Amino acid sequence: MKILIADDDPISRRLLEKTLQRAGYDVVAVQNGMAAAEHLCKQDGPRLALLDWEMPELDGPAVCREVRKKKDLGYVYMILLTSKGLKTDIVTGLGSGADDYLTKPFDSGELKARLRTGQRILHLEGRLVEARENMRFKATHDSLTSLFNRGVIVELLGREISRSRRERVPTAILLCDVDNFKPINDSHGHLVGDEVLQEAARRLLLSVRSYDYVGRYGGEEFLIILNNCDPASAPRRAEEIRRSLSDTPVQTSIGPLLVTMSMGVHQTANWGARTVEELLHQVDLAMYAAKAAGRNRISFTKPENSSDADHRVPSEAEQSLR
Amino acid sequence: MAPRVPYLSFWPHAIVFICIGGLSPKVFSEGANEVNVATPSVLNIKDLLSRVDNDRELVSELFFIFKSVFPSHLQRLSDAVAKELPNQVEAESHTLKGMLLNLSAARAAAIAADLENMGREKRITGVSEVFTEFQSEAETLLLQMESVEFQQ
Repeated sequence: MKILIADDDPISRRLLEKTLQRAGYDVVAVQNGMAAAEHLCKQDGPRLALLDWEMPELDGPAVCREVRKKKDLGYVYMILLTSKGLKTDIVTGLGSGADDYLTKPFDSGELKARLRTGQRILHLEGRLVEARENMRFKATHDSLTSLFNRGVIVELLGREISRSRRERVPTAILLCDVDNFKPINDSHGHLVGDEVLQEAARRLLLSVRSYDYVGRYGGEEFLIILNNCDPASAPRRAEEIRRSLSDTPVQTSIGPLLVTMSMGVHQTANWGARTVEELLHQVDLAMYAAKAAGRNRISFTKPENSSDADHRVPSEAEQSLR
Repeated sequence: MAPRVPYLSFWPHAIVFICIGGLSPKVFSEGANEVNVATPSVLNIKDLLSRVDNDRELVSELFFIFKSVFPSHLQRLSDAVAKELPNQVEAESHTLKGMLLNLSAARAAAIAADLENMGREKRITGVSEVFTEFQSEAETLLLQMESVEFQQ
């Protein structure tokens, strides 16, 4: 484990360095408080630190205060090590944000024991953070496909439309529905249906850019948000996404299945006063139009007002694409 | 003018023990017949070795570092005493105290602590006398360090 030693006394620094290296730590040694704070405030900096109290530029308690200010950092376990030994010093040191306090000259056994305590705290913190991240993921992602769930993708859509309005940049909304999904489930069972949805999700994710959004909107429906999508390229992008599923059969436990999807697309930079729900309704209608036109195709929304027309895709693309 | 640091004049007279097989047994001995070795409380080698997991090479290295940095610290302390600058007396004494404690030099560390307290309390009266005592103790300590030889 990486540990930082900050001490302007070269004897103390060397003594600590050797003691901790021997105990298996990866030691970073610095001579002043400013350098210590810089190391500890790095995202990948040491999470365990031994700080001398009296140091040039920034003393030990000031380093503790600087580190504690950084709320986005993982927890840093800091031990003040000094020849100050008064009760008031201990109170001041711990009050600055230090976790523990050792007086010089340190006993190597006691030092190592206290560092093990620090490691236990850090390990516990790591497990708590991991559990919190797992819970956050579960709360925001669909358990079957690992895509954003409906709540999150709709929220992202709202944010993206606000951004698009503000910056006057076009955004495309794609609502995709796997064709004939109920017959797949009925004929081959729900496990195969799940395999189809998982593979469809994987291919959708692979067919968009890293800054686009893909979410599971409903049972076999997926919502895609293409940020900064140039009006001329939207039909091509939508077609590539449609073909990502239809061109290659999905490998399932009962063998390959040819799976397609129908898609409704709305693309503009001029959103008017429409709400997210209204926009989704429009895209939904377009998607059902693609279904009605024979499935495995794309249908674009109809313009609602003249201002929208400027950002419409070419007229031939408004027809169902196949 | 700041007082001259007299410990340097002791170096030519330092008695060096050439020991074969590791740490000189004289250093460990507390017997009255052992000469040229300061009393154990000046430099408690047993305590120091136990704190560094018996790493004699490290002790040699620490002594070397101390001998390298000590003169400049002592000179700054000497200047602060001569100029009656209590804040500097406190700061330098504190630094020296930390070093000496790490080296298990309890007596010198205790005198450095006295100087530190005097500096903190802005007590100038008597500080020269305590500083002289510290210098004397430091000379003894340096002599003892010289006497401790480790097998390379």
